[in-house]
Amino acid sequence: MEAILTDCVQNSLRHFMFKNAIFLCERLCAEFPSEVNLQLLAACYLQNNQAYSAYHILKGTQTAQSRYLFAISCFQMDLLNEAETALCPANEAGGEIPNGAAGHYLLGLIYRYTDRKKSAIHHFRLALSINPLLWAAYEELCVLGAAKEATVVFSEAAALCIQNQYLHHGLPSPNLHMSSEDYNLVSSRNFGSEDVSPRKLKHTQGNNLRGIPGNHHGAVVLSGAASQPQNGGPSNMSFYNTPSPMASQLSGVAPPPLCRNMQPNGSNLNTVNTDGSPRSIVNSTIQAPRRKFVDEGKLRKISGRLFSDSGPRRSTRLTGDTGANTNANTAAVAGNGTNNSSKYLGSSKLSSVAPRTVTVRKGQSWVNENIEEGIRNEAFDDSCANVASTTSSSFSSDNVRSLDHDGATVLVGGVVVSGAKAVSGASEVLCLLRTLGEGYRLSCLYRCQDALDAYLRLPHRHYNTSWVLSQVGKAHFELVDYLEADLAFSLARQVSPYSLEGMDIYSTVLYHLKEDMKLSYLTQELISTDRLAPQSWCAMGNCYSLQKDHETALKIFHRAVRLNSRFAYAHTLSGHEYVALEDFENGIKSYQNALRIDSRHYNAWYGLGMIFFRQERFEFSEHHFGMALQINPCSSVIMSYLGTTLHALKKSEDAIKIMDRAILADRKNPLPMYQKANILMSLEKFDDALEVLEELKEYAPRESSVYALMGKIYKRRNMHEKAMLHFGIALDLKPSATDVATIKAAIEKLHVPDELEDNLSTE
Amino acid sequence: MATESLELEEEGKIIGGNQHLIVDDDLREMGKKAAWSVSSCKTGNGVSSLRDDNLENYWQSDGAQPHLVNIQFQKKVKLQLVVLYMDFKLDESYTPSKISIRAGDGFHNLKEIKTVELVKPTGWIYLSLSGNDPRETFVNTFMLQIAVLSNHLNGRDTHVRQIKVYGPRPNPIPHQPFQFTSREFITYSTVR
Repeated sequence: MEAILTDCVQNSLRHFMFKNAIFLCERLCAEFPSEVNLQLLAACYLQNNQAYSAYHILKGTQTAQSRYLFAISCFQMDLLNEAETALCPANEAGGEIPNGAAGHYLLGLIYRYTDRKKSAIHHFRLALSINPLLWAAYEELCVLGAAKEATVVFSEAAALCIQNQYLHHGLPSPNLHMSSEDYNLVSSRNFGSEDVSPRKLKHTQGNNLRGIPGNHHGAVVLSGAASQPQNGGPSNMSFYNTPSPMASQLSGVAPPPLCRNMQPNGSNLNTVNTDGSPRSIVNSTIQAPRRKFVDEGKLRKISGRLFSDSGPRRSTRLTGDTGANTNANTAAVAGNGTNNSSKYLGSSKLSSVAPRTVTVRKGQSWVNENIEEGIRNEAFDDSCANVASTTSSSFSSDNVRSLDHDGATVLVGGVVVSGAKAVSGASEVLCLLRTLGEGYRLSCLYRCQDALDAYLRLPHRHYNTSWVLSQVGKAHFELVDYLEADLAFSLARQVSPYSLEGMDIYSTVLYHLKEDMKLSYLTQELISTDRLAPQSWCAMGNCYSLQKDHETALKIFHRAVRLNSRFAYAHTLSGHEYVALEDFENGIKSYQNALRIDSRHYNAWYGLGMIFFRQERFEFSEHHFGMALQINPCSSVIMSYLGTTLHALKKSEDAIKIMDRAILADRKNPLPMYQKANILMSLEKFDDALEVLEELKEYAPRESSVYALMGKIYKRRNMHEKAMLHFGIALDLKPSATDVATIKAAIEKLHVPDELEDNLSTE
Repeated sequence: MATESLELEEEGKIIGGNQHLIVDDDLREMGKKAAWSVSSCKTGNGVSSLRDDNLENYWQSDGAQPHLVNIQFQKKVKLQLVVLYMDFKLDESYTPSKISIRAGDGFHNLKEIKTVELVKPTGWIYLSLSGNDPRETFVNTFMLQIAVLSNHLNGRDTHVRQIKVYGPRPNPIPHQPFQFTSREFITYSTVR
């Protein structure tokens, strides 16, 4: 009865029938109370977005998998302390972190959000070393500014590591060996593929696959069905945990990988891992694996149903089950595009995976190790269907046990692949991740041109995916090249119109370009896609701000903040609005909030610098601009402001030096030249100033302030005719009303030479 | 500055009013930063009705003329335009007919800067504070006082439905002598 119930639950989960799953699972737990079943129930709750329920039922449990699930529930409920104690109990200093890479990743996130950067970095690195395909960890490291080069992380050694993980689980428990059995794994190769011959997998004691939904957005997790242990062993549960919710502003949705497993004889375990609800809110992790064995018949049916495009997609399946105790390391494989079936032996069809969307998506599914033992087979099928799939797939170091006699075969994804192929498959994935990782790392370091070059090395099919195009757009944005950014982002929208990743930056680009039609259109689309995503509201706020309605814009940014308080950019934008409304105190608070979330958010440092500059607290202002410049050393705008501040602090030589740097950094930026001229003028080096301004005239011939300043200088030099000429031109270029008044007043005074400073003083 | 009004300005007389409130983009409403007070009011029709963006309710005075609306700022501000909403058709004898605008540092040194006569105003009335000299585009002051000196048909008390005060937008870039006008400059002038 237990087995049947478990199977039903997992089946329901696979088909997203959460209510059914929860009901049946509660019956299961009532009938056979055990921790394993409790974990399954928690999984159901987490899938159904009821983290609080999972929290309550798992409170106090001690097994590793339970602790991991409990930590995920706490994290979703924002109870970071409890999550941390669950993962890493205080009294057990050397205790093992449940679920290996995933556990470390979750712990890293917790440390990051509680301001313990070093520990966070440490754990992300550990996670990556255990599972080199854990892209999300690498991404976090980049954001924290502590990522090593991608070639180091996603290196060939990593490929070997992955292979080892596969082979490693060939546990020596001989009794479970399937030597007697065939390892024919049902290939989940094609769903519809006929060649699936029922394979029996021997499971070592009890393969329970329980899927754990990692995705709080309802990723489907496959719950492993309790399998009848072949040998009558106890059912083990393997849980796969997946992804900790990334609070980052990813709205990516990971496509649910579907796993299929081979079917063990007699047990119907369906592993279908689907993850990925494409919910726009952050979640990028994909849940991985769950292993289940499915009935072959079921498999076909399911596959037929679930995958309309069967052949090509396939996530690697890791079938690690060879009956041996496989430890669970399941690598999550998700990657539609990335895994190009390399892992499948001979499944040519698999290789035809044509990634549809994708590529690097932040969510990834990975499979966590099941510490409990159990067999984990996971087969993931990436359902690339519209979902951005996470590109990185980590292989579950699932037990791909190639328990073959020759030892060279490895089970991956239900297909027996040879060890060599596994490595080559892994290498291909790593190669892709290397390029993407390098690009992302460089763009986090704001070396934008290099990042763009890195992304250009990607094959076209990967480049033309929404994540990559958004990143390209962001890079152009940082280079202050708004037209290119606009192009890149609009392409990204064409490719994936439902994706919200990076759309907040796109709205800022449109704001800078003053394209109010496009911006309002974008806002409408985003809001109708997802009313609960902070990016949509950021776009709307930018729209109002462009129309100078700062109060409404502020309200809207507040809404974005309430929707996701870990979205740093919303805080920064609120800060900008406060400054526009001249409410500096609240502005400072907002910027500081943004910095608390992400201390490398240079816009917030810049914002603070500007506030202090306005308030004439120049030392503070210098410090903050300096910090901003440290993070983003190529920004000519920040350099020019730093220069003006230095000049205000009377460090005029340094000021001029920085201005020159700024001029060199970006030739298209006219501001540093203008500021330099200003500085020179106040240093009374009129000729130099005039020289600079003459040059500037070439760059920006229609800028009234250039002529006004020149007029001012000529007036100081008592060259009244020239002054008059320039003031006249300045007036023709339609300056603002205040400036009109100032210039006209200056003209009047021309005829009354006046050494005392007049109303031409800076306001 | 106010645009297309139906009024005729001759010797400070304004006839009629505007249906719509249209103000230049480079002006912004400054009233939120000020403390508003009135010389007298009837219960339920107090000073808040002047600032609530609702044209249905009005401030009604309750005392001797002149009726005063005082607008006090915490620091000196540049003001350019005052806009009032009045409706002769609804308010008849309560509608102001002569208005004087005074400015200064406080109650002790207010000086009149503008007087205007209204003839059956219905709608928004734009009163510009600028002088003829380009140097006098703005009035730089701590306090503004709007005095209703007399009403239509010799009414004693007055109704005013809304008052807005406008000044120039500050330079978005602080400590700059001039504001930027061209696209290249503006694009590069801030980080958002």
